[in-house]
Amino acid sequence: MSASNSVETQDAIRLCQVADVAEGNGLQINLPERPPLAVFKIEGQIFITDDTCTHGQASLCEGEIEDGVVECPFHQGAFEIATGKAISAPCSVHLKTYQPILVGDDVFVHLDKVSS
Amino acid sequence: MARITIADSDLAFDCGSDDSLLRAGLRANLNLPYECNVGSCGTCKFELVSGEIKVFSDTAPGLSDRDRKKGRQLACQCLPLTDCVMKVRLEEDAPAKFPPTRLKVKLIKVTDVTHDIREFQFQAASPATFIPGQYAMLQLPGVSGERAYSMSNLPNDDGVWAFMIRRVPQGVGTQVLFDALILGNEIGLDGPFGKAYFRSESERDLVCVAGGSGLAPMLSIARAWSQKSKSGEEHLTFFYGGREPRDICGEEMLQQLPEFNHQLQFVPSVSGAVNDATNSWLGRTGFIHEVMHGFEDLDYANSDFYIAGPPVMTQAVMDFLRESHAVPQEQIYFDRFF
Repeated sequence: MSASNSVETQDAIRLCQVADVAEGNGLQINLPERPPLAVFKIEGQIFITDDTCTHGQASLCEGEIEDGVVECPFHQGAFEIATGKAISAPCSVHLKTYQPILVGDDVFVHLDKVSS
Repeated sequence: MARITIADSDLAFDCGSDDSLLRAGLRANLNLPYECNVGSCGTCKFELVSGEIKVFSDTAPGLSDRDRKKGRQLACQCLPLTDCVMKVRLEEDAPAKFPPTRLKVKLIKVTDVTHDIREFQFQAASPATFIPGQYAMLQLPGVSGERAYSMSNLPNDDGVWAFMIRRVPQGVGTQVLFDALILGNEIGLDGPFGKAYFRSESERDLVCVAGGSGLAPMLSIARAWSQKSKSGEEHLTFFYGGREPRDICGEEMLQQLPEFNHQLQFVPSVSGAVNDATNSWLGRTGFIHEVMHGFEDLDYANSDFYIAGPPVMTQAVMDFLRESHAVPQEQIYFDRFF
């Protein structure tokens, strides 16, 4: 069965390939009519969050990543990538995270399924 | 006087030995990032590249352990001991219309607003220049450190700065204001500060959400909204949350505006006991975000939201706006009252 026909990826959006995301980095994905997403790869594992910081209009994919934490390039607020939890001021609103669906080398997401 | 240079730029400013790096930079009209000015919000972080500084508070909540490990500082909490080079990312929006200045002002009027909020009016020798929604730092006699309070009036050529201040039990600052200061006394005022100011050019509806002395900036914004030229279709919904009936205020001032009960609707709510020593409450109950949830007249996509009040209220309203209605962050302005 091909990926696009599987139940899991029905209505899901294909974002990129796992190999498109460099280890320890984030890849910004622009989608029509909604704010961009960030696909992160941390120790080989894929995580998906909103890309725009909850404090200012910054792309988190441009931030430093260390110990599973991404730091906003504007004011150095920080979020846990796996949970979206805001852990450093000035950020206080948590980041939305989404459950990645991996089919072969492809990364899919259901945008209506926010995991936190 | 120390010379402060911004790393990787040709920008520099002078900072007096009694000023913070942040405020001196703002006085020089540099667009340094900041919000609260008191070490709490964490927006004014920077890295000291060279030079020596004195830090007012080592335990400022605006710095996380992670920031401390990386050697970051808060510009609002540092004064320079020598010339310095600071690494900081300047904001991209336009710098403040009115750079902050230090003034001497005299207390000219005190009015009770509720059982624990009073309006204090101060007279300066020069016009009071600020944008509605902004705040000033007050230096009170015999009190170490300054206190941040938002203006409740409109900018004016008469030089009047009005603040609505809630008495903090055991608070040293408010004790001086409420119990010691008398008419004619002089204090120091530094301002204006703050980025949660009224964007009068917006044509969207306006929603003000206030709690406690957060009434002050929201009232200033409502007054400015009333004065601006409007198409006649714009609405202002003004939510005010209090714990008890006796905390509710604002209606009397909003009634002065011609739009009251037409384009302007006042929506107060009590979150605690509906009966207190003097009143019974027959109006709405619950926290403000709960009241907003049940309030059907808001056009979330086409409104600007201004929020001022206790951190818990501000956070709950922001979460509600972002999560339940996907209001974009550029339509939400707030001051965190610490």
